[in-house]
Amino acid sequence: MENIFDVDDVTLRFAGIVSLSGVSMHQKRGEILAVIGPNGAGKTSLFNSLTGVYQPQEGQISFNRKGQDALSIIGKKPHKISTAGVARTFQASRMFNALTTFENVKIGAESHRGIGAVGAMFKGPATRRDEKISDETTWKLLNFVGLAEKANLISSSLSYGDRRRLEIARGLATNPEVLLLDEPAAGTNPSEKIELAELIRKVRDDMGVSILLIEHDMKLVMSLAERIYVLNFGSVIAEGTPAEIRANQAVIDAYLGTTSTDREK
Amino acid sequence: MNIFLKSKILKQLVATLMISFLVCVVTGPSGSPTAPASGFTGSFNNKSSFFGIFSAPRWTLFVFLGLLVYVSFRIKLKYSENVSSFTDKVLFIPRKISSNQSTRRVTIGALVVFSLILPKIVTDHFWQTVLVSQIAVYVLLALGLNVVTGFAGLLDLGFVAFYAVGAYATAWATGSLPLPALFGIHIDPFFAIPVAIGFAMIAGIILGIPTLRLRGDYLAIVTLGFGEIITLFANNLYGITGGALGSNQIPHFAINIGPVKYAWGLAPVPYYYLTLVFVVLFIIIFSSLEHSRVGRSWTAIREDEVAAESVGINPLKYKVMAFAIGAASAGFAGVITAAQSNFINPASFTLYVSINVLVLVIFGGMGSIAGVVFGAVFIQAVSMYLIHTPPSGYQSQDLYIYIGALLVVMMIFRPGGLIPAKRRGRSTVHAKVQVTEGS
Repeated sequence: MENIFDVDDVTLRFAGIVSLSGVSMHQKRGEILAVIGPNGAGKTSLFNSLTGVYQPQEGQISFNRKGQDALSIIGKKPHKISTAGVARTFQASRMFNALTTFENVKIGAESHRGIGAVGAMFKGPATRRDEKISDETTWKLLNFVGLAEKANLISSSLSYGDRRRLEIARGLATNPEVLLLDEPAAGTNPSEKIELAELIRKVRDDMGVSILLIEHDMKLVMSLAERIYVLNFGSVIAEGTPAEIRANQAVIDAYLGTTSTDREK
Repeated sequence: MNIFLKSKILKQLVATLMISFLVCVVTGPSGSPTAPASGFTGSFNNKSSFFGIFSAPRWTLFVFLGLLVYVSFRIKLKYSENVSSFTDKVLFIPRKISSNQSTRRVTIGALVVFSLILPKIVTDHFWQTVLVSQIAVYVLLALGLNVVTGFAGLLDLGFVAFYAVGAYATAWATGSLPLPALFGIHIDPFFAIPVAIGFAMIAGIILGIPTLRLRGDYLAIVTLGFGEIITLFANNLYGITGGALGSNQIPHFAINIGPVKYAWGLAPVPYYYLTLVFVVLFIIIFSSLEHSRVGRSWTAIREDEVAAESVGINPLKYKVMAFAIGAASAGFAGVITAAQSNFINPASFTLYVSINVLVLVIFGGMGSIAGVVFGAVFIQAVSMYLIHTPPSGYQSQDLYIYIGALLVVMMIFRPGGLIPAKRRGRSTVHAKVQVTEGS
């Protein structure tokens, strides 16, 4: 199976502090892949390198688009990478607070098409058609994530769980091939977590979008991920299926300790 | 002594009085042997008065204003719930009007008719001139700055630069500068309108591309510098801009195409109608932009630039676009100023203009087109009234104190401005709701 992300020997430094050192990671197309590790291990740095927010000094990141040439991520601007088909959510959900839920998603839907300022000024037929397509996409996605009733609320009035859904919908609106989720379950309650896991699986199954996930909630990761990479101090210390990771001594020492499942036993 | 140090109200009162006295001295006339502390007492030739009501030493006015601000602040703190619910009710009227489609149309229609017959109501020559050169021009400037600061959230402290570029481009195109005329022939200022708007937009792009990578305060400082550079260019490039004297040969507007002949001449009213057409045009364009994907992208960048990038918005492109589009209306304001008064010089394009326009935008409501138009009309009309018929004892340099005090009061009671923007107001309204729900 073809890989969607090929990350090879990526090193990211901030004035001498090494955030990622020689990280290699490969994600298969259509896979739900999780990245776990203790705080400060470099998980979010890896995400930021994948989305162009940070520029690693060494290594290669290639994003293999369907039916197109591979795109080398390093050196590209975030909005270019988003347009190419990499969507993401943020650790602390970052929405456009002054806009409604609907408008938040619509921005994602319309930012990829080419109606410029002139078209926006004088609403011609092409602009109206474009708006209609964006509206349809937006409604479809709001129904998909279950936020259709809250479409006209200001996004800052949404609950944590709803914000996560909103971010996912906004990411999906950009028509991505891969969705990067940075701690989607943070701040949500147990029942919201279950719904969220279902939603993430639905995104992959119904939309065919590959998922790359950072998460601290081990229950969620173990039930959702098909493969897991473990980062510690900026390097990959283990890689494998959830069962393999759970049994890996290095991972237990660095991060898991005795897992909740162990304690239950 | 302890009581004095511990009492919060006393401390605040002392601070208020000190600020009042400071402002009093700083803004006062310079002292003379007969009136050594003229800041406090008023100078010998400047008889001081209390808003023209009665004669009093100068400081009483400032202490009164200081206490007024302080008391309103206390009232706000103590009765904030009641006061804000009352002010909300009163100030919610414009929102009610705008939310209902038919009342909005009626209101807009009434306003258009009112603006059309305004020169018949205001027959005084001074006020007719003010309508064009002070009110309409500042409405245009405020509309332009509103795009940059209100929609895209970029603090521009050098907005006067685009106004100056528009005015000087008009002078150049009409052949009124020491330079050879732009197109070889002396064209009429009426046809210089697109030229000036084009130059202003290009200036916006040239300034925007390198500086809009900066954020927040840094951008404000760079734009401040750009505004000063343009003024200094105008002042120092004698052979190009006419130096400090500027140009006084800019012709009035005139159309002369075949059978269509019309000359604007000296009277202000024809300029008023021309400007009105363009104000309406800019309002239509800017408001349709606000509700388009461009406007949404501006809001997205203003709210969270990193998130905006992550959904595929190119921040630099949209910021430069905001600069260029905002500069367009300032460029047109430059044409009107140049052609109506025949005369431009660097003294008309100082930092004060930038700050004044920013005050209009903040007062009216950042990001709200109706707000900035009303804000500009209101503040400019009041300023001009004070210049035209000053109350006895009023000194023209004190104007900004009153406007400053007005802004402070506004910020306490209505931080969103006179008519807050929907897209800005909403977040604060909801924050309030959440707090009350939580408690």
